[in-house]
Amino acid sequence: MRFEDQARSVRRAARMWLRPGDTVIAPAIAELAAFALLLAGIEVVLLADGPLASIWQIFLFPGVGLLYVGAGLFAWTRRPGNAMGALIVAGGFVWLAAGLVNTGLSALIAVGLLVATVPLAVVVHLLHAFPSGRLRGRASRITVAVAYFVVLVLQAPDYLFDQGEAGPTTVLQIADNHDIGRVGHWVQDAVGLAVMVATAAILGGRLRRTEPGRRRVLAPLTGYGILAVLFVPVSAIVVKAWFPEASLELAVAQLAVMAGIPVAFVAAGLSGGFARTEDVQELGALLSAEEGRPALRAALREVLGDPSLDLLFRVADPPRYVGRDGAEVELPAPGSDRSVAEVRLGGRLVGAIVYDATLVADRGLVDDAARVTALAIDHDRLTADLLASRESLRISRARLLEAGDAERRRIARDLHDGLQTRLVLLAMLAGRSGAGDDTAAELSAGLQEAITELRELVQGVVPATLTERGLYAAAEELTDRMPVPVAIEFDQGGGGLPLGVETAGYFVVSEAFSNAVKHSGAEEMRLSIGRRNGSLRIEVVDDGIGGARLGNGLRGLADRVDALSGELTIVSPPGGGTRILVEVPCG
Amino acid sequence: MRVVIGEDQALMREGLALLIEQDGSEVVGRAADAPDLLRKVGAHRPDLVVADIRMPPRNADDGLRAALQIRAEHPEVAVLLLSQHVQRSYATELVEQGTVGVGYLLKQRVADVASFTADLRRIAAGGCVLDPEVVATMMARPRRDDLLDRLTPRQLEVLALMAEGRSNVAIAERLTLTTKAVARHVSHVYDTLNLELAEEDHRRVLAVVRYLSR
Repeated sequence: MRFEDQARSVRRAARMWLRPGDTVIAPAIAELAAFALLLAGIEVVLLADGPLASIWQIFLFPGVGLLYVGAGLFAWTRRPGNAMGALIVAGGFVWLAAGLVNTGLSALIAVGLLVATVPLAVVVHLLHAFPSGRLRGRASRITVAVAYFVVLVLQAPDYLFDQGEAGPTTVLQIADNHDIGRVGHWVQDAVGLAVMVATAAILGGRLRRTEPGRRRVLAPLTGYGILAVLFVPVSAIVVKAWFPEASLELAVAQLAVMAGIPVAFVAAGLSGGFARTEDVQELGALLSAEEGRPALRAALREVLGDPSLDLLFRVADPPRYVGRDGAEVELPAPGSDRSVAEVRLGGRLVGAIVYDATLVADRGLVDDAARVTALAIDHDRLTADLLASRESLRISRARLLEAGDAERRRIARDLHDGLQTRLVLLAMLAGRSGAGDDTAAELSAGLQEAITELRELVQGVVPATLTERGLYAAAEELTDRMPVPVAIEFDQGGGGLPLGVETAGYFVVSEAFSNAVKHSGAEEMRLSIGRRNGSLRIEVVDDGIGGARLGNGLRGLADRVDALSGELTIVSPPGGGTRILVEVPCG
Repeated sequence: MRVVIGEDQALMREGLALLIEQDGSEVVGRAADAPDLLRKVGAHRPDLVVADIRMPPRNADDGLRAALQIRAEHPEVAVLLLSQHVQRSYATELVEQGTVGVGYLLKQRVADVASFTADLRRIAAGGCVLDPEVVATMMARPRRDDLLDRLTPRQLEVLALMAEGRSNVAIAERLTLTTKAVARHVSHVYDTLNLELAEEDHRRVLAVVRYLSR
């Protein structure tokens, strides 16, 4: 689009003045602001001399124009890489030009007549381009093009043939033909309405696909923009028909509604989390800084102005993408709002930048950033690769533990269902066969002992209570067998626990208990189990001698917890008791 | 006496049935899982249910849950739960729901046929029977300010037998004491532990179990 080309060249000019780390407004911006102020000042003087020299007429158009320029420049300094600011500034100059229609000089009046309705098209353009400043998709591009056609070309019959009943004849008028003028109006209104319907449909569709967080910002803005554009022609028709003498009030209302537009866009841009962006060239400086070097992802987020941007690393065996923590990450599906830019170093794929295409419209910018940071990304990739192999090691350990647990349960079940039942029946038989016989009594007693022994064995493999009632009951049973009182705090909410977590939790309690009994000399203990923030949390506290270290028992426990991505903390100052805290994610 | 058996292992189920029938009772239903047990109890209204705590379909504490439901729906049906191992909370849950005609025994007690069938009859007659090992676990629990320390070994023995659901006569027989001597011990236990007075044996069990579970 014309505006964008314009904006880009201005941006290029502005960039020459922008230096990394500049905190003051760049000279180009300041010059633009000064230029706008100058134009507005001249316009005020000209309007004061014009035919409609009421105080409203004099200050409204220049005021609205300055509001646009000011808001646009503010957005521009916040985000130099985003065309929204430039677009709003351009809108401001159009407003200033449109205001010339009320001056007394015929050449200037002609300019004002030519661009009289262009501000409406600019609003349509802004609506379609928000938030990146670039038009996305064919439908948007066509709609905006038609909008400009409506305000530039279809406006022609208005100033060529029709100056209305009372209007003075201007330099542009070639004939006074009210009929042509009326038909022209009618065509302009119809096509203009079609543009607004298309805009509503396109933006409505976009809103539906937007994540809820950003929808809260986009929805009111879109609604306001569309209503504002519709308000101008509709209010004109209504006032003309029913309140013909209220034309000044009408103009004020229309301008007030339109004046809110740039403020709304800038406010939406800022509240939507669109932070200040930096130039890609600054990336190099940012990343080569000796001290305070920001994390790569944070730097990319800042420079590209996309707080949701993610950096993925390519690792081999099997080829896949992983995040910073080494966990595998799927690329977003093609066609979604998330786009992917591959990062290559010497032709080798080292990573990918996943960004929000609705925020960062300029694909080239992302590719530039990818090139600048490829070496740094490759460097970080090695760390991620290491973490990834550590992660797969952890997963395989977890699988081994899980297999071991399943085997334990199977053995316990087989012993319980098979051998133990048989022994009980044999003992029954022995008792019945030779009542009063010494040998039979001895046999019975021996069998009873064997059954008890087997029962204890099964209990050691997997406690029956854990199978039958779960972790809380099994842990409570453990406290019954402790030689010192154990205060229990259970918070059993949150539904069932995964088998692996439950088993790990049981061994944590049992190991912590036996450690305390063996070494601490505690007189009292406390056990609390509960879920917090998606984790199972187990805390065992005793009032013993402290000084516990990761010995054999606790070591195995730490491995088990680690395999489940959990954390084990031991606080045990000499003489200060021992506190063992385990947290295991449990979904 | 009419009995329904709930036990998923066929060998054990048939063994139990044989034992009960040889004792002169009638086995009117044999169930292999908890829903089947509930159905058969509803259909036959037996005098006694003998059920394993672990049963399908979940293979967890389904038998216990079924037992609690039977106690709630048919209070006149006595229930004996069998378990491979002892768990204090099973016993307390059971007696908290009512102490008339309930029992909780280790499965291996089946082997001592004479005392097992005697326990069956006591439960069916409205008694309360808890396994000595459950009681031992309860008594051994460590607690703060343990009032049990103030009891003599003899009184502790009496307390354990009270918790098992024995009457004064049975305790006297077991400990070869006079019933008068037992009554003296019992009243001393009551005083020491500040138990609420209960004349019937089965109510006495509840008071004792409550104390031991504190």
